Amino acid sequence: MKGSMTAAQTTLPGNHPLTSSHTKLVLASGLCFVLVVVAGIQFGAVNLTWSEVWAGLTGESSRHVERVVFELRLPRTLTGVLIGIHFAVSGWLLQLLSRNPLAEAGILGISAGASLVAVIAFIIGDWVVSSGDPYNNTSFALQYLPMFAMAGGLVTALGVYFLGMRHGQLSPVKMTLTGAVIAGMLHALTTGALAFWGHAHTELVAQWLAGSLYGSEWQHLRALLPWTLIGLTGLAFLVRPLNVMQLDDQHARTLGLGLNGWRAFALLVATLLAASAVGVVGPVGFIGLLVPHISRRLAGADLPVQLVLCVLLGAVLAVLADLIGRTLFTPYEVPVGVVSAVLGVPFFLYLLSRQP
Amino acid sequence: MLRTERLSLAYDQTPVVEQLSLSIPEGGITCLLGPNGSGKSTLLKSFAGLLTPQSGQVYLDDQPLEEWNRNRLARRLAMLPQKPIVPEGIKVRDLVALGRFPHRKWWQRDLVSDQNVTLEAMAMTGVVDLAERPVESLSGGQQQRVWIAMALAQETDILLLDEPTTFLDWGYQLEVLELLCTLNRQHGLTVIMSLHDLNQAAQFADRIAVLAGGQLEAIGSPGEIITETLINRVFRVHANVNLGRDGRPYCSGFAESAKENQRLRESDQSLSVSEPVQ
Repeated sequence: MKGSMTAAQTTLPGNHPLTSSHTKLVLASGLCFVLVVVAGIQFGAVNLTWSEVWAGLTGESSRHVERVVFELRLPRTLTGVLIGIHFAVSGWLLQLLSRNPLAEAGILGISAGASLVAVIAFIIGDWVVSSGDPYNNTSFALQYLPMFAMAGGLVTALGVYFLGMRHGQLSPVKMTLTGAVIAGMLHALTTGALAFWGHAHTELVAQWLAGSLYGSEWQHLRALLPWTLIGLTGLAFLVRPLNVMQLDDQHARTLGLGLNGWRAFALLVATLLAASAVGVVGPVGFIGLLVPHISRRLAGADLPVQLVLCVLLGAVLAVLADLIGRTLFTPYEVPVGVVSAVLGVPFFLYLLSRQP
Repeated sequence: MLRTERLSLAYDQTPVVEQLSLSIPEGGITCLLGPNGSGKSTLLKSFAGLLTPQSGQVYLDDQPLEEWNRNRLARRLAMLPQKPIVPEGIKVRDLVALGRFPHRKWWQRDLVSDQNVTLEAMAMTGVVDLAERPVESLSGGQQQRVWIAMALAQETDILLLDEPTTFLDWGYQLEVLELLCTLNRQHGLTVIMSLHDLNQAAQFADRIAVLAGGQLEAIGSPGEIITETLINRVFRVHANVNLGRDGRPYCSGFAESAKENQRLRESDQSLSVSEPVQ
């Protein structure tokens, strides 16, 4: 194989050419992202003009506008950006990892595990910290809920992963079935926990369980951002091994890949991303299922491009869904999970129908 | 180079290969033959370090395979599974480039030298023109050449193939085997593969190892192995072996069970005549 080959000198197609269509896709998604974020700040119960938003951001406007922009719209929109990224990227990883296009934190039970532990922590925290003063617990809940959610998510992910093994190999079908069953059980337990002990805050928790950005504040953002950064850093390391992980397990190992270690790491990153988001805004379904599919359809097999699209489009879908949810029936709000499903599914079906 | 010593392999508690000792010559084409379930695939997997022996050992360069670091092993030895998974939508060039994985650390990008090796591998297998096509859109024979190109991009001197011809029609089967033969003769690639077709093994192998029930039945040159008695013993086939013009044996035959069935049917009839139903 050391033989000299003339062909090697003739043509040399670039190894990773970001083709012009990929560049256009990323630019277009980036533009959507910017537009949606601006719209998220601009519109709501009170619609602002561009100049008002700008003045509000630079601190040269009325107290009222500044309050709307800084205390309501900006934290809410940015939290939407982050949870969109979290759910989309987590779904992308889980779909690759399990070779299953249906995989997603919700379907695999990770969100349900995160929810259960978060709800129990919320109830216990409420009981321990603020007995007598039911309005005193929000800060406790916020600061620690992502941690509890991640613990619950991790335990569930590990359980589903190991129960999904067959003869020492991950079986996608078994993993999905196990996940669905465990998700059902955990949902039932969550409802049970609420029914028994949650009466003081049932409404608050129920709203959280529906997956909502209502009342997002800067603390939400602060609780999420470290995990976003950790997750995305982890992903940068994962891209190359993920390419090889798409092959048959044993084939990947003969290419020198430490399969179990990388798989565990990928599962950890996916779980941290999804569960931390659940801890802050509750289980939002569909973003994790739809956005990876849409990104794959648009980007083709190129994993780095898929990932960038997941990040951008995940944020776009979450913020857009939230924007529509809070403006369509003002003063009532439709949770972001509901709107993202209603928005995303038709687009998803359209892309499916175009499949060759 | 590769050899096994009293190697026993098992899945869970079911023994598949028992006390098997053989050595594979360097720079040759070795074929593993044997009936279904004789342990061919299992043995190949153990050569690739994918199975932990129950007892005994596989040695590469006189060092037990267990002591080889996975990455170092991947630069010595490539394996093509029987049914490799094609990543969704992947282009030929990108699939072949995956063969460069063991040559780079996980944080490194592919270098120009990697691209050259990838292109060279595609040239050797004649898939340069397909570089921009999605692998899924290719014919079975073309896909198999792409997989071999990926293994070549790995730049190993040993290539293991698990029944590389199983899902191909006859023309593509011969094409793949001839390609492997060329790679062996021109570039000194050591080829170890399992095959089902005795005649193809006889035609292309330098050395044939016959497995039966997880044990080594015989090993030697095609002329020594492809004999009527051995075929009858291992495959339960009444064979007729002749020498071809190239001096290699070729055979035809019919299954022993065909004869048995006929005998059974005859005895059934005689039974029903002599012992009427009561």
